[in-house]
Amino acid sequence: MKPLMLLREAWVSTFTRVVPAVMVAVLCASMCATTLLTVGRTASAEADVMARMEQAGSLELVIGDNRNAGLLSPTVVNNVAALDVVERAVGLGSAVDVRSGTLAAGGNRVPAWGVVGDITAVATLIGGRFPLPGEALVSQAALEKLGHDYPTGYVTQGSVDYPIVGVFVAREPFSDLAAGVVFVAEVGTPAHTLHVITHTAAAAVLTQRLVLAIVSAPKLEDLTVQSATALAALQGEIAGDFGLFGRQLLLLVLGAGALLTGVVVLADVLLRRADLGRRRALGATRRILIALVMLRALIAALFGVVLGSAASLIVLTVWDVSVPTVFVIATVVLTLLAALAAALGPAVKAATLDPVTVLRTP
Amino acid sequence: MLAVTELTFSYRPGGEELFGALTREFLPGAVTALTGASGRGKSTLLYLLGLLLRPRTGQVLIDGVVASSLSDEECSGLRATRIGFVFQDAALDPSRTILDAVVEPALYAGATITAVRPRALQLLDEFGLAHRATHRPGQISGGQAQRVALCRALITNPSIILADEPTGNLDMDSAEMVLSALVAASTQGRTVIIATHNAYVVERAADVVQL
Repeated sequence: MKPLMLLREAWVSTFTRVVPAVMVAVLCASMCATTLLTVGRTASAEADVMARMEQAGSLELVIGDNRNAGLLSPTVVNNVAALDVVERAVGLGSAVDVRSGTLAAGGNRVPAWGVVGDITAVATLIGGRFPLPGEALVSQAALEKLGHDYPTGYVTQGSVDYPIVGVFVAREPFSDLAAGVVFVAEVGTPAHTLHVITHTAAAAVLTQRLVLAIVSAPKLEDLTVQSATALAALQGEIAGDFGLFGRQLLLLVLGAGALLTGVVVLADVLLRRADLGRRRALGATRRILIALVMLRALIAALFGVVLGSAASLIVLTVWDVSVPTVFVIATVVLTLLAALAAALGPAVKAATLDPVTVLRTP
Repeated sequence: MLAVTELTFSYRPGGEELFGALTREFLPGAVTALTGASGRGKSTLLYLLGLLLRPRTGQVLIDGVVASSLSDEECSGLRATRIGFVFQDAALDPSRTILDAVVEPALYAGATITAVRPRALQLLDEFGLAHRATHRPGQISGGQAQRVALCRALITNPSIILADEPTGNLDMDSAEMVLSALVAASTQGRTVIIATHNAYVVERAADVVQL
């Protein structure tokens, strides 16, 4: 039998007996919809959680020089910043209080930090220019507290003055700086703390190892380390839990759906015994009967997955849940494969029915 | 030439053995009637000749080839191309059109519907059913259904036609029409074998096998 004729025969015979076709379609639509609305939603939630965990605040490694022994020199900061696994690295001095040097009364005190390395790692400029060594940027909140109307003049700390050259907003995860002033530390000044932002939480362990190697403290007690390694481990566990839950749910949905689909196709085969016996007597081979039964299931399943995925996507849109396209495609393919697998047993049963018994049974 | 040699059959091992080592040739160009009391194996012999059953012993030969030893796939191929079946109840799919029913064996033989449709319409015309081509089996009479089954049996121009009680459910006029069609098919050189209880059919047959 020519493949095109087989396809036509399957197509026509699918729609001449609609009840089993509709049942298979509904089952496949349910499989598809259940998968997308449960496993898909879980996958989406997993992606959200992972994205939140990947935010800069969760990816920060902080190395502190406990004894201010000059371990975090500008060279160390720059070498760490140059690592492939590092997104940003910057050194900060200990916080000091500054007050306006321009106003006679001096205004309120605000905290100030010396920055070792690239100041753009901690501050985004919103007015003025980036400072040179010994110059400062001031946040809007600090500007008001200092009593300045404009980001001009200077702030002073004891005998040291820092000209204000611009206004900044603090970048994540340096929100503490938003309350004060940052100035570029004089050349050669070491930092008190080194702040390293990694690209991913998974890189935290490697980054910590590399950074400690670059710092090369004589004694480990000289340093304090706050790292995201525990977060990386937690992230791995959460991803594993989500993945396992998703796989189990997917197997359950597809397994139950396939079982019911198999029962429907088997019932259809048994109800069509006379039809199948006639086909065998008229020259259909066993392979033709197997193909016919499976194609009928596939055609019905195709309608089901289109219906099921369309309905699910509408619901997901209403819920404002975004499921990756590749997941939708994978769900459709898996549902079709499950339907085909379910139809295989009944198809073989159809092919092995004794045509004589069938033809002679009223 | 269709023939059987030393043929026996039983539906289960140790069960009643049928045909007693039957050896026989079935002549082309003639109608052969298989007759006998119920349970003597008329339909069973028909199914053996149609390669739907395997003999317990002996052989079924088609043109000298031991057809009963062929693979299931090859037997199906022979049924699609060389053998036409007519069943007692016509066995038409109630959900398909008459035209679809007639072309069915040709599709299994590898033809396309476009190629076989003209011959199907011609056969329906010859049997006075052209106007029923798009009807369903439920919309035609029993006699017409059996003539549709005859058209289906002839669609691949087979050399053998096997008919199982083709007139069993028909009134006299319809039975005569079907029988005449089978006789006409035999006169075109085909081997026509009819399993029947009907004495009138036996009378019309050129050869009779009493089981």
